[in-house]
Amino acid sequence: MFQQVLFSGMALGSIYGLVALGFAVIFKATEVFNFAQGMFVVCGAYLAVTAIAILDLPFPVAVLFVLVMAALIGAVIQSTLIQPLAGRPILAVIMLTIAISIVLRAGIEIAYGPPARTLTTPMPSGGFAFMGLMISKLHLTAALVSWACVILFGLFFRYTSIGLLMRATADSHEAATISGIRVNTMNRLAWGIGFTLAAIGGVFLGQLQIVSTELESIGLLALPAVVIGGMQSIPGAVLGGLLVGVIEQLAAAYISPKASDVAIYVLLLAILMVRPWGLLGQRGINRV
Amino acid sequence: MEQHKGKLEIARRAALGLAVAAAVGYGVGSVKAQESPADGVTKDRIDWGLLMDMSGPTSASQSIWVAGFQDYMKKVNEGGGIFGRKVNVLAEDNRFNAATDKIAFEKLVGQTPVIAISGMGTSASQVALAPTIKAGKVPIVGTYTSTSALSEPVTPMVYNGFCGYKQMAQAGVGYLAEKTGAKAPKVVTVAIESAGGKEYHDYVAEAVGKLGGTAQLISVKVTAADITPQILELMAAKPDFITIYGVANTSILTMKALGQYGAKIPAFGITYLGAPQIFKAIGPEAGANYNFISCFTPGGADASAGNAEMSAYADKVGRGAMKEDINYVAGWVVGQMAAEALQRTGDNPTRAKLVETLSKGFTVDSKGLAAPFTYTPTNNTGPVVFKMFGYDYATNKFKAFGEYADYAKYTK
Repeated sequence: MFQQVLFSGMALGSIYGLVALGFAVIFKATEVFNFAQGMFVVCGAYLAVTAIAILDLPFPVAVLFVLVMAALIGAVIQSTLIQPLAGRPILAVIMLTIAISIVLRAGIEIAYGPPARTLTTPMPSGGFAFMGLMISKLHLTAALVSWACVILFGLFFRYTSIGLLMRATADSHEAATISGIRVNTMNRLAWGIGFTLAAIGGVFLGQLQIVSTELESIGLLALPAVVIGGMQSIPGAVLGGLLVGVIEQLAAAYISPKASDVAIYVLLLAILMVRPWGLLGQRGINRV
Repeated sequence: MEQHKGKLEIARRAALGLAVAAAVGYGVGSVKAQESPADGVTKDRIDWGLLMDMSGPTSASQSIWVAGFQDYMKKVNEGGGIFGRKVNVLAEDNRFNAATDKIAFEKLVGQTPVIAISGMGTSASQVALAPTIKAGKVPIVGTYTSTSALSEPVTPMVYNGFCGYKQMAQAGVGYLAEKTGAKAPKVVTVAIESAGGKEYHDYVAEAVGKLGGTAQLISVKVTAADITPQILELMAAKPDFITIYGVANTSILTMKALGQYGAKIPAFGITYLGAPQIFKAIGPEAGANYNFISCFTPGGADASAGNAEMSAYADKVGRGAMKEDINYVAGWVVGQMAAEALQRTGDNPTRAKLVETLSKGFTVDSKGLAAPFTYTPTNNTGPVVFKMFGYDYATNKFKAFGEYADYAKYTK
C-alpha cells in the first residue's frame, strides 16, 4: 500500500508542482503574491472545456488554444491591472489578486452556468500493473507532462536570451531598466507563463475529477508548496509541490483524509520556523 | 302633503346614498382585507422565498434546484397565476453559510416578507434556525435537505421536499442486496467527512444489519483530487456493493479509481449524485457499475405526463440541459407542492391560513415525476418511494430499473 500511495502522491504532487512553478515565476519576476493562482487553474480547465466540448476543436488545436489563451489572459491581467499598481504598497496588490480571483469565479459562473462540466480528452485512461503497482495512465501522463513543462521552462530560463532577460529583471528591476530591458514586457511574459502553467494543471485536475470552480481549492495548494520549497526558487516550487502531494496522500492513508490538510500546514509551519526562506530558497541578506 | 312627500323623498335618497356609500366602503374595505403585505401577499402578487446556495460550494446542485422551482412558477404565472395573483419568487443566496442564511431568513420574514420559504439547503442553517422556524409564522414548504433538528418532532411549520437519507439507504440497500443475491451483504459507504455522511452511513448500517450483513464507513475529503488510499482500503474490504454519499467529485473519483484497478463492484449514489455529468465523467465502463437511488425521475427517463410537461417547458425556456439533473426535477416538484398549497389556501391567503391549510394534510401529485406523496398532521416526511436509475450511454439518457411500486416494499 505504501508504494501505491507514494506513487499517487508523487503524481498529484507533480501537478501541484506545476501550478506552484507558475506561482514562483510570477513572484520571482514581479514580487506579487498571487492569490488568484487557484482560479487560474480553474480558468485552464474551463478553457479546455470551451475548446473541446463547446468549440469541438481537434485535440492538438484545443491544446494550442488553451496555451495561447492562457498566456494572453495572464499578460492582459498584468498590463491592465497589476502594472498600474507598480510602486504601490504590497497590500494593495495582494488585495487586487484576491479581487481578480473573485471576479474570475463570478465571470465563469455567469458564462458557463452553475452545472459542473465534464472534460473528456483523448489522453489515456485506465491503468496497468507495473512491479506490483497499479499505475493510472492519466496520473502518469499528468506527471510526465508536468515534468516536461518543468524541464522545458527550466531550459527556457537558463539558455534562451528572453529567459536571461527575465532572470535579470527578476534580480533587479532598476538594473534591468538601466540596461535597456523592457521590464514591463518581461513582467507580462512572467504572468503569461504563470497563468499558462496553472492552466495546464487545471486541464489535468479537471480531467481527474470534474470541471467546476471548486477546483480552486486544489489549485490553492500551490501556495503552501511554494512557501515550503522557497518563494524565489523554481526547483523549490516543484519540490514543494511533490512534498505537498505525497504528504497529503500519506496522511489520508495512515491518519484520516481530514488530517491531510493539517499535515501540509504543520510542515509549512515547521519550515517557516526553522528555514523561513524555504527548502531551496535563498536567505535574504540586507546591508545595514 | 307635497312638502311632506318631498321630505320623504329627500330622506329616501339620503338613505339610499348612505347605503351605497356603505356598500362601496365595505367593498373597498374587503379589497384591502385581501392584501396582506406583511405576509408577502398583495393585490396581484404573492411573494415566495427560497433560501439556497447559489454561489457557494454546493451551488452546482442547489442553483439547479432553484432553476427548477423558478421555472415551475413561471409556468404557473403564464397560466394566470394562483387566483389571479402571480407568484413572485425571491431567491436568496446563502453561499452555504449559516450566518448568511440567518440574515437572509430574517429578511424574508420581516424586510421583504414572503408567505412561505422553500429550499433551505444548508443543514447547518436548518439546525441553527430550527427553534426560530418552529416558533415563527413562516412555514418551510419543501426542504432541499432534511435534518432531524428541523423536521422532528413533526411541526406544522416544516414540510420536507426531498428524498430522505433513511429511505435512500433502505431502498438502495434492499434493491442491491436482492440484485447481487448477497444474503448477508458486506457494504462500504464512501462518504465525505460530514455529519450528513455519518448519518447516512448509520442508516445504511441499520438497513444492512436487518439483512444480517455488515457496513463499513470510508471517509474522503470533499475537495480531494485523488483518493487512492481510500480505494485501496475499500478493495481490501471486498464489499458486495458500495454506496456513495457526497458531491459529484466523490462519485467520479471513486468510480474512476475502481475502474483503474479493474474492480467491478456495483455501486449506488444518493439522489444528489444523479447528475448526467457524473456518468459522462466516469465513462461507460465504470458507469455500467454505477447507479443512483432517487425519489424523483430525471427528465426524459420515462414518458409520464409530468415528465413530458417538465421536459417541454425546460426546452422552451432554454434549460433543456438541466432537465436531466435530478436537482432540477426536485425544484420543479417542490414548485408543484408550493402551488398546490397556495391553491388550497384559497383566494385570500395569509401565512396563518397557509399553515392551517398545510397542517390538515395534503397530497402532491407530480404526474409521475415522483410517486404521489402525502403529508398528514403526524407525518411531514415527503417523498418516500424510490427507484434506482442508471445511464444509457447509447441514448445519453437515464434509464429506470422498474417502477416506483416495485420499491415501496423497501421503505415501508
